[in-house]
Amino acid sequence: MELDLFQADALRELGNIGAAHAATSLSQMLMSPIDMTVPEVQVVDIADMHNYIGNEIAAIVVFQIQGEVADGGYIVVSMPQETVIRLTNLMLGTTGVDREINEMDQSAAIEIGNIMISAFLDATAELLEIVMLPSPPALAIDMAHAAFESIIAQMAGDVNDILIFNTELTSEAPPIYGGIYMLPKPELMQQLFTLLDDLMTSTA
Amino acid sequence: MNNNFFSEKTAVILGLGELRVGTCPMGTIGLGSCIALILHDQRQSFGGLAHIMLPESRGNRDRPGKFADTAIYTLLQEMEGGGSTVSAITASVIGGASMFEYSANSLNIGERNIVAVKDLLGDVGIRIAYEETGGRVGRSVYYWPEKKGRLIIKRADGTCVEFS
Repeated sequence: MELDLFQADALRELGNIGAAHAATSLSQMLMSPIDMTVPEVQVVDIADMHNYIGNEIAAIVVFQIQGEVADGGYIVVSMPQETVIRLTNLMLGTTGVDREINEMDQSAAIEIGNIMISAFLDATAELLEIVMLPSPPALAIDMAHAAFESIIAQMAGDVNDILIFNTELTSEAPPIYGGIYMLPKPELMQQLFTLLDDLMTSTA
Repeated sequence: MNNNFFSEKTAVILGLGELRVGTCPMGTIGLGSCIALILHDQRQSFGGLAHIMLPESRGNRDRPGKFADTAIYTLLQEMEGGGSTVSAITASVIGGASMFEYSANSLNIGERNIVAVKDLLGDVGIRIAYEETGGRVGRSVYYWPEKKGRLIIKRADGTCVEFS
């Protein structure tokens, strides 16, 4: 699989809009500014995934992309444990980050993932005038690569590479870090390109 | 990702769907639902490792390490080519975790991988010397064919086990 320049650009722009909305929703919830990196779009060979996704422990919240394309792929929020604990503290008014992840943290991770990803998919879908909805979330707190394997296994039975859209959200105070990964299946990707193409020609 | 686990320069980390037979140290990092299948020949001090992703190849042939069925036969074939006999080979099976809570769907493929690998090993008559499968924990595996098949498994919760 290879992306031409137009496709990579279009996808980056689409993801940019989605990620900006996710960042805004996070910022509103935390009442503090959130910075966002320029999104990256990459085609990654499954054998190289371990060079791309590390094996540090992280909270991984996964959503299947549903809607007009029944099984469009996956969208993932990945956060370090300290970030999750900080977010729980912010929401509950508690303090102290030097502790183990508990059930409250797990609920917080899922809730924050939900809010961010709903904003992400809403914004992109609205732009394209289609319906894209997140499935109920699934959570793993484990080596990031181990969690991604299960997702890749669902996507790469017949193909050997995966398209990954990635952007990072950060805040300095409180020190918070999160990554958003979108892994569209080829069918959804094709649909996105067609819609983006229409959008560009109609506005040109 | 840097991996300083192996001090040896010849060590290889096998990614998703990769497979290797030889004498060099081998490993996989961050196993989730996938399986690390190690076939070890104690007499010849060599062996192979496959980072298996799915139970059945369904006709896919380009990456034999990716599927349980093609991985086992390819590992065996390459080891027999190197002078091993089935009777001298033992297997270690690690991984096949179900990583996600609150997930009713297909993300939990680990169990199917475990069944497929163990059934196939039974079919070809290879004894399982060590098995650590299932659960909800990610694992990293390191294997030294030349050091009596020394094996280290590092779990996501920080615990570590070693065999030789």
